[in-house]
Amino acid sequence: MSSRRTDRITAVILVLVGAFFVIQSRSFASASYGSGVGPDLFPIILGIALILLSIRLFYETFHYQDEKQEREDLDWKRFSIIVGSLLLYVMTLEIIGYILSTFLFLVIAIQTMERGGWLKTLLVSAGFSIGIYYLYVQILEGTLPPLPIIGW
Amino acid sequence: MGVIDFLWNGFLVALQPDNLLFAFIGVLIGTAVGVLPGIGPMSGVALLIPITATLTSGASAEEAASSAIILLAGVYYGAMYGGSTTSILLNTPGESSSVVTTLDGYQMAKQGRAGSALSIAAIGSFVAGIVALIGLIFLAQPLSEIAIKFGPAEYFSLMLLGLCAVSSFAGKSMTKSLIATVIGLLLATIGMDNVSGVARFTFNTPVLYQGLEFLTVAVGIFALGEVFSTILQKNKEEQAIAKVGRVFPTKQDLKDSAAPIARGSIIGFFIGVLPGAGAILASFFSYIAEKKWSKNPDSFGKGNIAGVAGPESANNAASGGGMVPMLTLGIPGGGTTAILMGALIMYNVQPGPLLFEEHPQVAWGLIASMFIGNLMLLILNMPLVKIFAKIIETPIKYLTPIIIAISVFGVYAVQVETFDLYLLIFCGLLGYFFAKHDYPLAPLVLSLVLGPMIENNLRRALTGSDGDWSIFVTHPISLGFLIVSALWLLIPIILKLRGKKVIINDES
Repeated sequence: MSSRRTDRITAVILVLVGAFFVIQSRSFASASYGSGVGPDLFPIILGIALILLSIRLFYETFHYQDEKQEREDLDWKRFSIIVGSLLLYVMTLEIIGYILSTFLFLVIAIQTMERGGWLKTLLVSAGFSIGIYYLYVQILEGTLPPLPIIGW
Repeated sequence: MGVIDFLWNGFLVALQPDNLLFAFIGVLIGTAVGVLPGIGPMSGVALLIPITATLTSGASAEEAASSAIILLAGVYYGAMYGGSTTSILLNTPGESSSVVTTLDGYQMAKQGRAGSALSIAAIGSFVAGIVALIGLIFLAQPLSEIAIKFGPAEYFSLMLLGLCAVSSFAGKSMTKSLIATVIGLLLATIGMDNVSGVARFTFNTPVLYQGLEFLTVAVGIFALGEVFSTILQKNKEEQAIAKVGRVFPTKQDLKDSAAPIARGSIIGFFIGVLPGAGAILASFFSYIAEKKWSKNPDSFGKGNIAGVAGPESANNAASGGGMVPMLTLGIPGGGTTAILMGALIMYNVQPGPLLFEEHPQVAWGLIASMFIGNLMLLILNMPLVKIFAKIIETPIKYLTPIIIAISVFGVYAVQVETFDLYLLIFCGLLGYFFAKHDYPLAPLVLSLVLGPMIENNLRRALTGSDGDWSIFVTHPISLGFLIVSALWLLIPIILKLRGKKVIINDES
């Protein structure tokens, strides 16, 4: 499944990542004691290894067989809605509380996966968010962000 | 104290009511994880680490660690039982070590012998689990005693060997699996350096001083990564599930599968002990072996029960065998054992040669609980196989969002930090991207777990030798490990150059 283009872009990015680690490591106060085996040694070796491997990967892409133009039909819309609402979920978790944010996320995600069956969706979402909150906060005495004002 | 005394004490730990419950929950969830096609043993175990952490939060460190590992190990070997169910009933393996089971298992189901196939798989798994445990008990002590004599140079080389072995088997491209390994090691360097106290790659953000939390990364890369890929795939049409029928095998079935089960268990255990190999290769080899030894090899692929009994025993034995290097040397041989080891480290229990001395309760409690867990699985799987077959029908539209919600809950409950939730999402995207483009995840997680220890041993060895790198080749044992590591990387390349097809071990 590896496509030439993606692998080349990845290789370039990874070379930069490797270079970043090498350059950053050089700023550590190296040889904090004696023998010169400081905190920079290991990341520098790894950074160089990553650069070399990425170059190797880039080189390998020249030997890929020409791929058949067989584009996979992926559901990017569904994916973006769910990942987007997941981000919103994480952002609002500590503001509107665990129960509400989880409930909303689940409703959106389930409906995005497949439209319809609203009653079941609402029941599953409410059951999960309230159930987890009750189990974790009331019985296991953990902490999760409560609902504002009501404090539950 | 002899082995028997230790084992006895282990049983005392494992038989405590709450640990019995933990083992039961573990194997139950493990079976479900094995049955559900969207979620494999690695993500199942990763997803449950935070849950076990919350469940065990009240207990002392030692007790919490033993309870947690009992539950998580239960998920691991339980998944091996469950994986066969979908292979047989649906012709789709629930996890990849049951791929070969589809060959004969599904044919048997088509002939109305699904019940026999399922119960033979359960019996075979049980026997194999017990064989692996006996092997584990006898290998653990001697291996630990050898390993305890290792210095930092030997340890460094041994860990390098583990990484090379896993990288060379995993994935389609060795360059990519080595890249995954190096990325894992690099991620492990983020945070405060234990030796010098220097903050590395933290950008002065306090949340990063502790380093990236293993739990967050593991849940993100495995559980969320898999979920993301499910979301992207358009809904598939429902497949018809074969009827289970009569659950108990006939006398003839039992007779035909006794030898394959015995062979599969032994092959599986030894392959499992080898780093990098693991359950998939074990089931594969067992299938080939059965076909070779059979009187009529033509009947394979047409519903021969030996083709189910052998591989299913082998993959279970391999998961038991995989515990050996993890517990005794502190070097996991694959992705799932790496996650188990990460969980133990979270509880400040360091697997390795000292484990049996410092935490006998954890080590022997785990071993004893595996006896009990396997027994539970046999009991669960024989009569309840029809109910488990129903789990397959869980609609994906509920399952996927709920797995996401469980990941968020688990990570937040343990870390209480929204930073980790963002990291979780990022790792999920990364995990999806990597899996999609053939970067294997097992080496990544393995190197993430081993990273700090490799670095530590490297620096200790070099400090001891005054920065002289020859220490790694002048110590004979260390040199031996390095040679084997090099061979492990070179042999697949040579085989490929000679035009041979190399078997890969794609755990996820």
